[in-house]
Amino acid sequence: MSEIFASPFFGIALSVLTFWIGTLIQKKLKSVLFNPLLIAILLTSAVLLIFDIPYESYNEGGSVINMFLTPATACLAVSIYTKIKILQEKWIPIVVGCTVGSLASMGSVWLLCRLFGLDEAMTVSLIPKSVTTPIAMGVCEANGGIVPVTVIAVIFTGILGSILAPFLIRVFRVADPVAAGLAIGTCSHAVGTSRALELGETEGAMSGLAIGVCGIITVLVSMLLL
Amino acid sequence: MKIIKQFGIIFSLCWIAVVIEKLLPIAFPASVIGMLLLLFCLLTGVLKIDHIREKSDFLLANMAFFFVPAGVNVINYLDILKENWLPLLLICVITTVVTFAAAAYSIRLVMILQCRKKGVRHE
Repeated sequence: MSEIFASPFFGIALSVLTFWIGTLIQKKLKSVLFNPLLIAILLTSAVLLIFDIPYESYNEGGSVINMFLTPATACLAVSIYTKIKILQEKWIPIVVGCTVGSLASMGSVWLLCRLFGLDEAMTVSLIPKSVTTPIAMGVCEANGGIVPVTVIAVIFTGILGSILAPFLIRVFRVADPVAAGLAIGTCSHAVGTSRALELGETEGAMSGLAIGVCGIITVLVSMLLL
Repeated sequence: MKIIKQFGIIFSLCWIAVVIEKLLPIAFPASVIGMLLLLFCLLTGVLKIDHIREKSDFLLANMAFFFVPAGVNVINYLDILKENWLPLLLICVITTVVTFAAAAYSIRLVMILQCRKKGVRHE
């Protein structure tokens, strides 16, 4: 019985189906709270747990989908390349903002982990939580963290950022769209970027740029400090 | 054939990135190496956006979907989450707000400083 779930087609079909359901729910309810990725993860996990299907069987197909993360991240270069003019003009504030933001993210995570008494593996897993998933996973893995904890923290942070973005812009009185976009990308990577795109073209472009810049800064800082 | 060719270009690039990752003495994710490599190729004109447009649009537009299996992996670690859900939740909320404020204010500060510098020069 278990062999039928070990076909890679099962994992891929289940992932696509649950993600599609997530997209439908989001369209219906028009709320960022109902993130398709979050819904797909919850539904897929529920199916595996309820029908007692081993994760290894699901992952026959899951690993095929997972393989696409590397080329997808590489293609962020295309969005950076199309915004190269803004990067050339404002590279000093962009680099400073992303560096300060990334350091603030890693520093505040480290401090809070100490405060809550979390162990070393948890701390390392949470430190890269503000950058895009494949980079965060890479940083976590390289330093002996627990990759799934990183993934959950990254996804949750992204959803949180996309919900809070307009609110944060108002509270911190960020009038400049360049600063707003970069701040959204710095704190909540790709998921936040989707919300930034809704706020404006410049916000979206800058948020996308911040994903790449912060990713590189976080990798470099974690190599130096961890 | 066009799409297959684009697949070929991007996957070759990723493979080169994996090879570089293995050769590097330090831990640096292959995905970021691939991103830098592709940006370098675009800037130097080795690759044109047209060479990879459809494939890269496909990958960027569906980026969220590719994260599903990585997220599902968490069912293997439910006990960790059960033990730590409150600190995890608090850490995510607090640090997201702190990070946003730090990035936004530092960018604004640098821009103000730059404007002042320019203003001084004009006078």
